[in-house]
Amino acid sequence: MNRRMQAVALSAAIMAIGLGPLAAQTYPVKTVTLVTHSSPGGGSDVFLRELAKYLAPELGVDVVVDNVSGGSGAKAMAHMAAQPADGSVFYATTPTFIYTSLLSKPEKTYKDLEPLVNVFEDPEVIYTAASSPVQTIEDAIKGAKEQRVSWGAANPNSLERQALEQLKKVAGVDVGIVSYEGGGDMMLNVLNGTLQIGVGEIQEIRSQLDSGEVRLVASLGDERLANYPDVPTAKESGYDVSVRKFRGLAGPKGLPADVIAIWEKAIPALLENPEYKKAYSEASLLPDFVPHAEYGPFIDTFAAETESYLKEAGITEQ
Amino acid sequence: METLAEVGAQLLSWQLLLAAFIGVAWGVVGGALPGISPSISMALLLPFTYALEPTPAIVLLAAVYVGAEYGGSIPAILIRTPGTNAAAATVIDGYEMNLQGKAGLALGISLYSGVIGSLFGLLVLMLLSEPLAKVALAFTPPAYFGLGVLGLSIVASLSGESLLKGFMACLLGLMVATIGTDPVTGGNRFTFGYPDLLGGVAPILIMVGLFALTELFAQAAIPGEGNRVRSSPRIRLPDWPLARRLIPSQLIGCVLGSFEGVTPGGGGTVAAFISYNEARRWSRHKEEFGKGSPEGVAAPETANNVVAETALVPLLSFGVPGSNSAAVLMGGFLIHGLLPGPMLFQRSADVVYGLYAGLFAASLFQLAVAFVILPTCIWLVNRPKPYLTAFIYALVFSGVYSINHSLFDLGVVLIAGVVGLFMRLLRFPILPTVLGVVLGFMIESNYRRSLVLSGDSHMIFLTDPIALGLLIFSAIVVLGSLARHVYDRNRKPAGPAAAVKEG
Repeated sequence: MNRRMQAVALSAAIMAIGLGPLAAQTYPVKTVTLVTHSSPGGGSDVFLRELAKYLAPELGVDVVVDNVSGGSGAKAMAHMAAQPADGSVFYATTPTFIYTSLLSKPEKTYKDLEPLVNVFEDPEVIYTAASSPVQTIEDAIKGAKEQRVSWGAANPNSLERQALEQLKKVAGVDVGIVSYEGGGDMMLNVLNGTLQIGVGEIQEIRSQLDSGEVRLVASLGDERLANYPDVPTAKESGYDVSVRKFRGLAGPKGLPADVIAIWEKAIPALLENPEYKKAYSEASLLPDFVPHAEYGPFIDTFAAETESYLKEAGITEQ
Repeated sequence: METLAEVGAQLLSWQLLLAAFIGVAWGVVGGALPGISPSISMALLLPFTYALEPTPAIVLLAAVYVGAEYGGSIPAILIRTPGTNAAAATVIDGYEMNLQGKAGLALGISLYSGVIGSLFGLLVLMLLSEPLAKVALAFTPPAYFGLGVLGLSIVASLSGESLLKGFMACLLGLMVATIGTDPVTGGNRFTFGYPDLLGGVAPILIMVGLFALTELFAQAAIPGEGNRVRSSPRIRLPDWPLARRLIPSQLIGCVLGSFEGVTPGGGGTVAAFISYNEARRWSRHKEEFGKGSPEGVAAPETANNVVAETALVPLLSFGVPGSNSAAVLMGGFLIHGLLPGPMLFQRSADVVYGLYAGLFAASLFQLAVAFVILPTCIWLVNRPKPYLTAFIYALVFSGVYSINHSLFDLGVVLIAGVVGLFMRLLRFPILPTVLGVVLGFMIESNYRRSLVLSGDSHMIFLTDPIALGLLIFSAIVVLGSLARHVYDRNRKPAGPAAAVKEG
């Protein structure tokens, strides 16, 4: 779309909407496609579909969610890299796309995308079965020193696994770290006592938390969770382990400045929308807006840390 | 009883009945198209549920699942292509019946068994959810390993004339199952730089290749293959003597399907194969299995429809989806602000009762939908062979392509088809390969997971009572098949072994 058409569209929009919240800046395209590697019903898919509901009126565009599954994000990244950088297509970022880039070395990686902004943090917690004697991380470590125990992570390549490997290292214990094909399978093994503790997102265990079948032992962010103020962070408990599961957006390289500006305004506004706030707070998502200028470096730092972890753990070669 | 009354009351809602009908119709069509799995059929409808009330939305999705598990048997019987993974076992006898001109009866049996399975599964879901949830909870990684081994043990009796060839074919399948992401370290294995292989090779691709393409290739390559009898384009439900004969095999399907359904990861495919095997063991007409036995259609088709219902047990009780389809259904719950799991019954009991009612309606609607679309399907496969062959190629390729919009997948299916053709020429059975592909990952990941749990001690498989029981049972199955094999061979050394005919 060239400048003149933009100008025409802009003035048309101003005339049409008058002095609405977005009258000053009209989004350059009519339809925004949000791409995720997750299949319908998966974590990123639910995130995007919820977001789409509130985003459409905010930007004044139609928002579609497109599932490009396969290869743990490798396909979605290749798909994204081939899209026009006009603000019409964005990809839901999670740590997965970094893991896939580093482990699988596909042709197109996170480096071929331009991080736009971050939206949420999906807090990770350590939990155990309600019947378990473990009350604190200290208890878990003590138990691990007395006899062989196992800790659970949802997937082999995941932030959860990374958090447990870190904890294992700083506590200096030898435990089995068992990974599954999803957080649900793992939770069953925490419930039946196969695993001493598990690491997961609040969302995955919310129903069991409400019914009192599992208990939170610690949160893995830098600060306590607003919904669970009594649960200490791992750092407070004396174990320097912290992970941040981010949920944000990225586009093809070379996003126009005006598009970025609109998103930087729209996302903080959305996060304040009372209806949306209610929905995401119930899901224990933390608003975690990171503007464009900081998001790129944030992703790069995250990738560098993950890379050194993968090498240390012997998962990738030097 | 209170449950039944609540469910009955919900049945009066026309929105719910409409959702169930549309769901089943869509599911049967999706299931019947090779490549469009139950979960994809459901996912395609997911966006349409946004505007609906929660109960009809959930019913719509669940009804798709029911319909798709039945629909998968239609191409399995008519064109030797399992429409869904769980219909693979139906191919064995269903396609044989079709070749004998009994397609209408085979479809009738599969329909009748599917309805019985759905109703039985629903009853189990409504009344036995709690005890079955305990079963699911008792399954630890060693137990899943045992379950996988049990599934694999029936290779011994599916191998046909040569056990050695059967084991080799199975190994081939297990090797394919190792492609993808290592279940413990998360590293890549045998992906050769193809990102399409990162997630492993989907079993449905191998099945479509080995069954459908191999058949088409064989018809082209081997003189005299594929001369067929025409079937009358009418579906026939079994008459009373036949229905009575089917009872034991359906009972087997019901019981095994119930257990397989509640163990996340077990799934309909394994249930169908194990039920097929057990139905044959307990049948009075063993010799017919593999040559168009009606029981050989009834057992797996009952089992996979039971699974479509009992797979909801872990979803509703724990919020843990046991299969891809259950995961999409869970997405449906979440989108409507419902949280499957222990609190669901307390917070939204009406939705659960509505779901039960919808599933009941969906089970019966299968009959109506089938009577509308089946005659068309039979008519289609009775067209002159050149048209039919071209049609099947088009159907298979477009179906496979539509899964991931991937040409790579088409390549995988073609390779599997060529491998299958050579296996047929060399008289290797293909069913063991299919089982290996389906079960390989489950067996390996749980084996290695168990060893991480125990700190590399194999004793864990003996100390876990469920694992031990399943492993002993597997050993009995294998030894029993071996003994029968040796016995048959000694009795009539010159003749062909009376084991299952592998087509």
